[in-house]
Amino acid sequence: MRGSRKPAIVAVAVAAALAIAACSSSSSSSSSSTSASSSSSSSSAKVTLTWWNNGNTQPLLGVWQSVAAEFHASHPNVTINVDPIQSDLFTTKMPIALKSDNPPDVFQQWGGGQEATQFTSGKLANLSSLTSSWITELGQAAAGWQVNGAQYGIPYDQHVVGFWYRKDLFAKAGITSPPTTIAQLESDDAKLKAAGITPISLGGGSRWPDAFYWEYFAVRDCSQSVLQSSIKAINMTAPCFTQATKDLTAFMATNPFQGGFNATQAQTGAGSSAGLLANGKAAMELQGDWETSVVPALTSDKNIVSQLGWFPFPQVPGGAGASTAVLSGGDGFSCTTGASEPACAEFLQYIDSTPVQEELVQKGGVGLPANTAAETVLTDPALQAAAAAHRNAAYDAEYFDIAFPTNPGQALDTALANFFAGKGSNETIINSVSSSSGH
Amino acid sequence: MARTQSAPAAGRDTASSRPAAAGARPPRRRRGLRKRVELTALLAPAIVLFIGFVIVPMIFAAWYSLYNWSGFGPLNDFIGVQNYTGVLTGPVFHQALLHNVIIAVLSLVIQLPISIGLALLLNRRVRGRTFLRLAVFAPFVLSEATAAVMWYELLQPGGPLDALLKAVGLGGLIHYWLASTSLVLYSVFVVATWKYIGFGIVLLLAGLQGIPPELREAAAIDGATPWQVTRAVTLPLLGPTIRIWIFLSVIGSLQLFDLVWIMTLGGPANASSTMLTYQYTNGVQRTEFGYGATVSVVLFVISLVFALGYQRYALRRDTSGALTRAVT
Amino acid sequence: MTAASARLGRRAPRRDVIRERRTWLSLPASYLVILLVLAITLAPMLYMIVGGFSTTAQLNANPNALPHPWVWSNYAAIATSSIFWQAVANSVVVAVVATGLAVSLGSMAAFALSRYTFRGREAFYLLFVVGLLFPLNTAALPLFLLLQQIGLNDNLLGVALPEAAFSLPVTIVIMRPFMRAIPGELEDAAIVDGATRIRFFLRILLPLSRPALITVGILAFVTSWNSYLLPLIVFTSQNHYTLPLAVASFQSTYTQDTARVYAFTSVSMIPALAIFIFAQRKLVGGLVGAIRG
Repeated sequence: MRGSRKPAIVAVAVAAALAIAACSSSSSSSSSSTSASSSSSSSSAKVTLTWWNNGNTQPLLGVWQSVAAEFHASHPNVTINVDPIQSDLFTTKMPIALKSDNPPDVFQQWGGGQEATQFTSGKLANLSSLTSSWITELGQAAAGWQVNGAQYGIPYDQHVVGFWYRKDLFAKAGITSPPTTIAQLESDDAKLKAAGITPISLGGGSRWPDAFYWEYFAVRDCSQSVLQSSIKAINMTAPCFTQATKDLTAFMATNPFQGGFNATQAQTGAGSSAGLLANGKAAMELQGDWETSVVPALTSDKNIVSQLGWFPFPQVPGGAGASTAVLSGGDGFSCTTGASEPACAEFLQYIDSTPVQEELVQKGGVGLPANTAAETVLTDPALQAAAAAHRNAAYDAEYFDIAFPTNPGQALDTALANFFAGKGSNETIINSVSSSSGH
Repeated sequence: MARTQSAPAAGRDTASSRPAAAGARPPRRRRGLRKRVELTALLAPAIVLFIGFVIVPMIFAAWYSLYNWSGFGPLNDFIGVQNYTGVLTGPVFHQALLHNVIIAVLSLVIQLPISIGLALLLNRRVRGRTFLRLAVFAPFVLSEATAAVMWYELLQPGGPLDALLKAVGLGGLIHYWLASTSLVLYSVFVVATWKYIGFGIVLLLAGLQGIPPELREAAAIDGATPWQVTRAVTLPLLGPTIRIWIFLSVIGSLQLFDLVWIMTLGGPANASSTMLTYQYTNGVQRTEFGYGATVSVVLFVISLVFALGYQRYALRRDTSGALTRAVT
Repeated sequence: MTAASARLGRRAPRRDVIRERRTWLSLPASYLVILLVLAITLAPMLYMIVGGFSTTAQLNANPNALPHPWVWSNYAAIATSSIFWQAVANSVVVAVVATGLAVSLGSMAAFALSRYTFRGREAFYLLFVVGLLFPLNTAALPLFLLLQQIGLNDNLLGVALPEAAFSLPVTIVIMRPFMRAIPGELEDAAIVDGATRIRFFLRILLPLSRPALITVGILAFVTSWNSYLLPLIVFTSQNHYTLPLAVASFQSTYTQDTARVYAFTSVSMIPALAIFIFAQRKLVGGLVGAIRG
């Protein structure tokens, strides 16, 4: 009967597939091991480091590969397996990896309260003693990567958030110099609108760009001590935060953003907020210094980076915060506990060495280096301006969703995004960071 | 159906009453044992695989819901039902649940008739039938991510859809498909319909093709109009398949996630949230794994209540339908 | 039904007349509907396929225009990309295992649950239905830990086995009524002829259930093919990536090379569509056999 051959074929196919799967599994188990059988000294034992970084796009993709190769050349006993993973996926993969027996030896870290949350897994390596000889070169930057005073992460770049603007569109609207106060910004917005240009693009669909605005108003309105103690206590009931909401509301009432901004993504495709800026469909965007590495891929204009200028977030009249304070952050790496710690620490030291930092800045497009000695190679005037603003800032305020532990940080982002979409109030923002809220 | 030799019509239940025939059956006790062996051989592999990879993780996930746990570190903050009260009394969760219900209802009211109509249409001997079936099924074959990204691009302000509407003079209909809090849920529904209708049609086609055309022809000979034929013959015989479709569709609506997440992240401002986007936002992103597990358990209970009720009132009919026979 | 069969025995219907009157939607109207359906289902995909022939710069500047000129480099780059073929191979292995297991184990279980009576039968059925109700997302973390314990991490089987398990409920829910609908007389006749139940299952029931088998096979295959979250969690090394992971990774690597992403995604649709076409033929062929018996 016709049907009788079918089960046989199916069985053969399944068996073959099972065999293939089994064979491939045995070859895989050796590739991501972190064997370091003997001593803690990395200079003698053979070590393989599994490295999860978020450089899955060019040019950073290529730069990290060459950094790993260079390190291996000078440390032949250390082999590095580079695993680039898209940035947003770390939220999903890290908790799972840190629960497994075999987490990656080196992985992307953003510091702050997020790092403190991961710290509770017990798998983050304490690098204080392994880095004490050189960590001071990084200055203040390294402080954001400590938990309870000990070093659990090492930054490789720094970020500062400010306004990126298109010089050509400013000229078209008759704006001769960037605004320094909010009032000036609003009048510039009006000029741009009169010239038929969308003043500011905003990636509301990604949530975190919304947060920059409110957080900057908070940084301008709150004194340094109130700001720092509030973040430490995860409590935003101080009146300056309410003032920030007021200021934001007034600013939003001038309608500076593109239509449908609530669904616009920040960096994906030409329709993203970065893409709008890159293609001349908007004049400004409040973003981090990574903007210069994001926009080239979004437009056919080869000279896009030279078209962009930078100015710091304007001053807010009557604010208790310093007018030069900046919202900042950075990228870095953490090591996981185990025999690979020394090799990991050496690798991170290598990444923060001036030559590699210069390579990251010039070729990798990371923005501002963690090691300020490498700032001399910055050629783009806009980035130089951003670097100067960071250097001269009265103090740094880490972006709140990183400064807070992950739970309240994400809740704040969501509450702010809702507020921008017209569904929220000052109360929902202020209270979002308390643990039982936002549900 | 094939013509078989006639068998005794009634009173056919145990072997002992069966007339002896060539290849006599073994005595009753060994048949009981044999039956049990057969059953084990048939059921056991599926059961083992299923319990191992589905039930066991489920139980663990339910266990996590009793803890306040960030996903890192040990499970040591037992809080009992506190997560549950948080979920069940939270207005954001209620909103997400409402969205799921809306989508389920819309799919019954809109997708089902369209699927049946298209399945009937595609069952006819029209030219290029295979190609048509392929075309209709193709969206289902796409991965969620691909479909979501594609539609995200198409629905951009000033994007292809808007351009098309303008070109045919319907520019007045243009809205912010994904940015408007009042429209976004329905935009998501339209995309979901586009993606999943192929599955329903394939299922219904399989059911239709189990209906012999002679039945329809016979009814037509008897003078029924085509519509009457469909209504009185085809649809009832398609009943069991339709009931399965409804079941799977409602469950699917309750579990909608990937498509929504990639297109809208459940936003803006939770306007397109579903229970699972809520779970991801509050459970994974906020590293409250215990809370996230709670949402899953609640979702599971809701689905279970529906499934049990549906089983009792709708699917029970199929067990004693005209085409089935009880088998000992 | 017996009445109709009896009638058939009596006289042959006039096929030509019947065909004309058989439907309630006239032929031209049907074609119109079909065209509309085709347009709606295919247009978005065509947009992507055609977009793959464009360049990103063009797409950014004017997303709705046809490519001008048509470039082959995007598609060519994919055809020569080892990552793509590796991912296809991985997806094939995983999908074949998952589908094979789900369909074979599922139909065996459906047979037991549809044509045997035994104590606890409905409880077993409910157990499977229960699995349908629990989303994979939450099971992800415990599942990962389980896989780690049994050593199936970063292993193709570590994805195929859970996928098969999660496909079992749908398979059983669909197959059980189909199998039930096969009349008891067939089974009686087979047994009278000396066949065992299992023989009846393999030789008669399965072939008759072919439409349903193909359907659940397609469902299981497509589900496995498009699965994203589970492979994301289980696989750490890139050379194990299945196609959706490769697409997503590709998408973010060539992040804003929209044209290239379109090309990659278009090509990744092909294998699943091909399987469907292949299965479709069998579906049609199987029916004729099933009905004529």
